[in-house]
Amino acid sequence: MESAGSARDRVPRIDPYGFERPEDFDYAAYEEFFSTYLVILTRRAIKWSKLLKGSSRARRSGTVKRYIRKGVPLEHRACVWMGVSGAQAQMDRNPGYYHRLLQGEQNDRLAEAIRTDMNRTFPDNIKFRKSADPCLQKTLYNVLLAYGRHNQGVGYCQGMNFIAGYLILVTKSEEESFWLLDALVGRILPDYYSPAMLGLKTDQEVLGELVRTKLPAVAALMDGHGVLWTLVVSRWFICLFVDILPVETVLRIWDCLFNEGSKIIFRVALTLIKQHQAFILEATSVADICERFKEITRGSFVTECHTFMQKIFTEPGSLSMATIIRLRESCRARLQAQG
Amino acid sequence: MSRKKTPKSKGASAPAASVLPAANGSRPARPGIARPGPQVRPDGPPQLGRPSLGSGDFYDVAFKVMLVGDSGVGKTCLLVRFKDGAFLAGTFISTVGIDFRNKVLDVDGMKVKLQIWDTAGQERFRSVTHAYYRDAHALLLLYDVTNKASFDNIQAWLTEIQEYAQHDVVLMLLGNKVDSAQERAVKREDGEKLAKEYGLPFMETSAKTGLNVDLAFTAIAKELKQRSTKAPSEPRFRLHDYVKREGRGASCCTP
Repeated sequence: MESAGSARDRVPRIDPYGFERPEDFDYAAYEEFFSTYLVILTRRAIKWSKLLKGSSRARRSGTVKRYIRKGVPLEHRACVWMGVSGAQAQMDRNPGYYHRLLQGEQNDRLAEAIRTDMNRTFPDNIKFRKSADPCLQKTLYNVLLAYGRHNQGVGYCQGMNFIAGYLILVTKSEEESFWLLDALVGRILPDYYSPAMLGLKTDQEVLGELVRTKLPAVAALMDGHGVLWTLVVSRWFICLFVDILPVETVLRIWDCLFNEGSKIIFRVALTLIKQHQAFILEATSVADICERFKEITRGSFVTECHTFMQKIFTEPGSLSMATIIRLRESCRARLQAQG
Repeated sequence: MSRKKTPKSKGASAPAASVLPAANGSRPARPGIARPGPQVRPDGPPQLGRPSLGSGDFYDVAFKVMLVGDSGVGKTCLLVRFKDGAFLAGTFISTVGIDFRNKVLDVDGMKVKLQIWDTAGQERFRSVTHAYYRDAHALLLLYDVTNKASFDNIQAWLTEIQEYAQHDVVLMLLGNKVDSAQERAVKREDGEKLAKEYGLPFMETSAKTGLNVDLAFTAIAKELKQRSTKAPSEPRFRLHDYVKREGRGASCCTP
């Protein structure tokens, strides 16, 4: 196909965030999607400019929620995330706090744990390479070190490197990245990263319960093969879909995550599973199930982020925060009883 | 070849046990996706496989191997070196949670499939990963010869393994990154001494140069294959002796 050959020439090898496109990247499909998405992006950019006119902050409201679900333009993303998550308010209340953390007492174990992951965070991103100038590794190191000192109950947990990395790419600001990381780890996500990881384990079980109610055949398959949910979805929760779904899709998910909270993660997970239910149900072994759960995070369904984001609010059906809270309570109690 | 064991029935709870590999179904599956094949049974003896229709995963017997050890000791790199014969120089990311890859080896004329589980090394992930220890037929425990702390933690890992793994699990200790001779912080003799203390086979490896990597997995495969299929007349395979005899020292490559 002629257009396939030329799409490779027209679409840059490196995406707007600095990530090299993978070898098997489907340039033709991407170009076709992007030509449609560009129209949406342009329309949204005009709408957002009007909405934010005269105010430098986004506050939570019905209109803002509707706008956010349709995607925040990249130029407003940092500002909107800071506003709706409460990170901006925290930063304003604590001037100089971030820099004092960086000058704080040395903790060799914390520093060492973070350093181990520096070369292992986005080696496919040109801005995170050692040879890059400026090199974002130092920025990433600072944000994680400051956070580990700020929230000593959590310290540093692998996975936070990928999250902080995205925050840095979007905000281009060390201090804002720190406060957004605090909004996620300290408030939005319930105890995913502390040493016991109880919140993470709980939410994996909650997803299992939601699947049991909404997609019982998939739950039966998992039970039949004795597959624990942690095996197939732990990275979804820990990395908030970073390095699992395409970059643009992850950022669209995070738009809603900062505004609406951790419920969004369940919506995304349920949508992926429901959309590919028939494919998952063909699995005949544990390894096959794992492979299929990886496979469903690829392809046009997730690349076409605008349609995907519409689907996460329709496909899983109703999902009230009350339900999530109730399931979290029962799942946590069960986990604690198991020790 | 003689097969002494036959797979036990998987029971009614595993409906698809005798189904042939499914055709690619309703969704846009990419070419090259692993076809479902006969599987390692959790909590059970290694399963003797059936030849599958796909050419890639044809095997006679399958085992589950786990890679464990501190964060950054080179578990993923060791696995990729073995699987693809390549070194991931600065192109890999920290392993979060748990992942696996398969490789089929030819062991004395028998196709042995190793399903190799790669785990996150950070301490807090142990509570997520130790649930998988009990299904493992073999464990490769790694430390980094340039990182003393990773060596000092080996005892803690052994305690963890004792608590959660099968009592007859095949265990091997590996000191990785011996290519970094300049930065070595753990002497070969210290590794040997610790291994001896716990009665473990031991080797030094390099995922970068490939030193002893294939050997480590082959040795495991030989031991597991023998355990599951050995005829009484066959001579017993001795893992310790094999590793000692075949393992190459890193010292030959350093000044």
